[in-house]
Amino acid sequence: MRVPLSWLAEFVDIELAPEALAERLTLLGMEVRSVERRGAEWRNVVVGELLTVARHPRADRLSLTTVTTGSGAPLEIVCGATNIAPGQRVPVALPGAVLPGNRRIERTEKMGVVSNGMLCSGDELQLTGDGEGILILPADTPLGVPLADLFGDVVLDVDVKPNRGDALSIVGLAREVAAITGTGLRQPLLDVVESGAPVGDRLAVTVHDAVLCPRFVGRWVGGVRVGPSPDAIQMRLLAAGVRPISNVVDASNYVMLELGKPIHTFDAGAVEGGRLVVRLARAGERLQTLDHVERDLDQDTLLIADARGPLAIAGVMGGAASEVSDATIDVIVESAIFDPVSIRRTAFRYALRSEASLRFEKGQETRLARLGADRAARLLADWAGGTVAPGRVDTAPQEPDPARVAFRPARAGRLLGLALGVDEQAALLRRVGIEVEVPAPDVPTVAIPVAAGTKPLSAACPAVDALVALVPTWRRDLLVEADIIEELARVNGYDRIPTTLPATPMPPFRPTPLAVRDHVRGTLAGLAPAAAGETPGEGDPIWVTNPLSADHALLRQNLVGGLVEVIVANRRRGREDAAIFEVGKGYGRLADDAREWWRLGIALAGAFDPPAWNRERRAADLDDMKGIVEALAGALGLPRPRFATLATEPMLHPGRAATVLVGGDADGPALSGAIGEVHPALAGEWDERSRGALVAELSIRGLAAGSLPVPRGLTPARHPEVDRDIAIVVTAERPAGEIEAVIRDHAGPLLRDVRLFDVYRGVPLAASERSLAFRLTFGDPDRTLNEAEVETAMAAVTSAATAAGGRIRS
Amino acid sequence: MDLADLTRDLDALRLRALAAVAAAPDTATLEAIEVDVLGKKGELTSVLRGIGALPPDDRPRVGAVANTVRGAIEAALADRRSGLASSELAARLERERLDVTTPGRPLRHGSLHPSIQAMAEIAGIFEQFGFVVHESQEIEDDLTNFQMLNIPPDHPARDLWDTLYVDVPGHLLRTHTSPGQIRVMQAMRPPIRALLPGRCFRYESVDASHGFEFFQVEGLMVDEGTTLADLKGLLDQFAQAMFGTGKKTRFRPGYYPFTEPSVAFDVECLVCGGPGCPACGRSGWMTILGAGMVHPVVLQYGGLDPERYQGFAFGMGPERISMLKHGISDLRLFMDNDLRFLDQFR
Repeated sequence: MRVPLSWLAEFVDIELAPEALAERLTLLGMEVRSVERRGAEWRNVVVGELLTVARHPRADRLSLTTVTTGSGAPLEIVCGATNIAPGQRVPVALPGAVLPGNRRIERTEKMGVVSNGMLCSGDELQLTGDGEGILILPADTPLGVPLADLFGDVVLDVDVKPNRGDALSIVGLAREVAAITGTGLRQPLLDVVESGAPVGDRLAVTVHDAVLCPRFVGRWVGGVRVGPSPDAIQMRLLAAGVRPISNVVDASNYVMLELGKPIHTFDAGAVEGGRLVVRLARAGERLQTLDHVERDLDQDTLLIADARGPLAIAGVMGGAASEVSDATIDVIVESAIFDPVSIRRTAFRYALRSEASLRFEKGQETRLARLGADRAARLLADWAGGTVAPGRVDTAPQEPDPARVAFRPARAGRLLGLALGVDEQAALLRRVGIEVEVPAPDVPTVAIPVAAGTKPLSAACPAVDALVALVPTWRRDLLVEADIIEELARVNGYDRIPTTLPATPMPPFRPTPLAVRDHVRGTLAGLAPAAAGETPGEGDPIWVTNPLSADHALLRQNLVGGLVEVIVANRRRGREDAAIFEVGKGYGRLADDAREWWRLGIALAGAFDPPAWNRERRAADLDDMKGIVEALAGALGLPRPRFATLATEPMLHPGRAATVLVGGDADGPALSGAIGEVHPALAGEWDERSRGALVAELSIRGLAAGSLPVPRGLTPARHPEVDRDIAIVVTAERPAGEIEAVIRDHAGPLLRDVRLFDVYRGVPLAASERSLAFRLTFGDPDRTLNEAEVETAMAAVTSAATAAGGRIRS
Repeated sequence: MDLADLTRDLDALRLRALAAVAAAPDTATLEAIEVDVLGKKGELTSVLRGIGALPPDDRPRVGAVANTVRGAIEAALADRRSGLASSELAARLERERLDVTTPGRPLRHGSLHPSIQAMAEIAGIFEQFGFVVHESQEIEDDLTNFQMLNIPPDHPARDLWDTLYVDVPGHLLRTHTSPGQIRVMQAMRPPIRALLPGRCFRYESVDASHGFEFFQVEGLMVDEGTTLADLKGLLDQFAQAMFGTGKKTRFRPGYYPFTEPSVAFDVECLVCGGPGCPACGRSGWMTILGAGMVHPVVLQYGGLDPERYQGFAFGMGPERISMLKHGISDLRLFMDNDLRFLDQFR
């Protein structure tokens, strides 16, 4: 909310400098986002008096004026406006002046006459809304004074929190300032000179639903002359960020900003019989609103109507037909209270949220209906010369007493960690208008409201330990004891809360769920450059029902899709090489049950070894990805992964994709997933930059919450191990993994390890063949092996390999 | 052959051998000379073969001469060998000389995303104060994300959280980590000190300071005597640990429906240090998190009696912390995964 200090100062004395006030308000919870100095941009603009106004010798539409600024020779200034006359005091921008929008004024020649500056309109100074005529200042405005000294203002932009609808007003913020300064408050002028027939002869209001409209106060102002508001009012509204429209519209905006009370005005001539009805819309009803949009009204919409039909959407927007215009003579003032939820839903439904609906949504004290009606009537009389009919139409004149909220002063100390005496607490509350009483002596216990809303709770407290806060009607946010305690802390100052460290018992140890995730991240970051990132998901996909864009409508089921997009985006920026991973979640549903799972996604593209003066560039290939998966398995204390052919994943190259499986037990594998090269057809169809990218999507046990295995520190074998090599010739398409499995299965208990160390194709082998050379390591921790047992194991391997279709190459 | 002849031959052999040793260009030649002269089948042996033809009385004399000759040759060989070895070593070192000024062979190592790093750093600090990580679901139900946090439907405060809904009935993408407070309280008994990091989602268009997907770290401490003063003390310690000791902090009123009292927590501007600059909106302070005492309604939904238990909660954006700490100007950098940006956080 924009708060001009000149306006605020009408209601409270302000001794503090603007920045100091801003800081104090911020520390009171009314955060000031900025302190703006209006007029700081007017340099060299002073008050002048027109001495002569004559026709420009060579241009009919221009005037040639002489102006004095009180000292020095009169200045000749050329002016295009028509509202000027000798004797008027006007703003003069002297040569060298700078106006809003960084507009520089220099001595110029206009149609053969030198102009020594410029006379300014209100709009050019951003002071009023008038851009047609020169701003005519009051006759007693002192000559030669810089305009900034007269009309400059300081505007605070205050971030009013949603619970403090009462502070969305100048008066409300003046109350906060008074809490800071301890000074008294002045109230807006509400007294109205009334005359003519009583309002009851002119206006009747029927409310059909007192829940949706708890109070409606109407006033009738006759004989208004619709025109611009006084300049000072226009200046003030503009400073507050509202564009002046006309005296009638400005009056309702003024009351809204000043009191926080949205006001609606009707052209009384457009209201059938002067009879207003507050009711819900009926099927098929339509209304052309002020923005000239014809709207179909649905039946939850609260309306202000007359006998002929809808006139306005209550609290949200008026209708075009009953809008106050230049032809309006009599005005009906509506100052009503509406149900906040109803207004909020309606404003959302028609996408018509406004400063007015915002204030209704936060809830308003019913007293405001009367205050707003009287204030608006007074302003209409003052600014538009209207005659106010005696009395008000009021559907619920009874105004509530302050709410009584009992609290325990000792509880404040316990919650805040700050000891405040009972008298001190009462004095603090008084500063924000909360009177404090001791409970009546005849009641033994008092009910303390501990919680309200959907989970109310009250606690019985001995009357001697309790106080009762009388909460002013405008503080609709203070419902329970904790609210009163916050008020104590706020007024006393959060800076006076002590700084202590918890001295309460420590909770017992709990293992972190992040152990495996952090270790995976650390391991991969150690291997390759990383970033923040798909195997088919589980269940059906989940859709976002109100997505920001079609790209974000589906919750991801896997990570690699996003990672490939990252690679594509980086390549678009010219970064060819990438090695990235993400430990993240995928989402899916099983019936009405939402599921989330943790995954690891990895993607490689471009060079795995970037070129250097001492090394050739080496492109990443599937073996690099397998190496990463192997290193990861090692870091997680898992056995070496097994890769098996995967030709059925449509996103992956059918000849360059594999499933990964590591360890596991009855609960499933310890690590599983798929790796492969992005399908070349995908690159062709989607983005060429994804071509050749290698991806992995892995499920790892413990990624969601798990602990790491503790490595066993075994003593290295003292007895030498024995290596034996064997080359097995098989058909070229035969996977090496299969042959390795045959070896493992038949080499016997002494086998420690099997490693493929060479693959050979060519002479003397047939073209359809290849030779796979494995190194087998045998050993026994307790003894040295003898030649015969190793030979027996190798013979078993040889015959199994032969039986599996291989030929031993000697 | 007599004694004189033999002695002369031995002397000639000595002179020849010494000359050859002196002329040997390398150690391999010395080896050859040694074999040729002193070896089993060498010249000295063959000269001495003539000793058998001498009278027995002369034989010891020849033997003495021969030993002298052998000694002289061996000494010359050793001398020459050591000379040659050092020059050969020098030559070898010269041959093996490298241009040591060339760059090394590049090694690769990666880094973690700055969001992840910031979350780990935050968690590390609070773990020192006995907080344990407790994660919560991202697809939440409306009840836990809003209503149990004292935000009923159509509450004006819902404006603070523009929400993305999903097609699982009653569910949405959590707008904050705060529903985790409810889940922690339902799962653990006080004393509770829990940290809830995780991803959150909001229906917000992406700009320099907003994203529709972002991380948050929530903290919750509940016990019988946990006070607002404890919250102030703990957050002050956190700011010192995160941004450096001696940093001034500020506690001021804030607003959240699920805390009462509510707090906004500021640290002195990390750019200007207080006087005010564009980075801090000329206030000299930067807001780093929101916090407050857990609302009695929330405690009850967590299954705790607000008459017995009280505590605080706080929530912060690791990206914001990271932006402040590293001087990052645009939140979108955290989402773009531009490797040129990420490479700076090794």
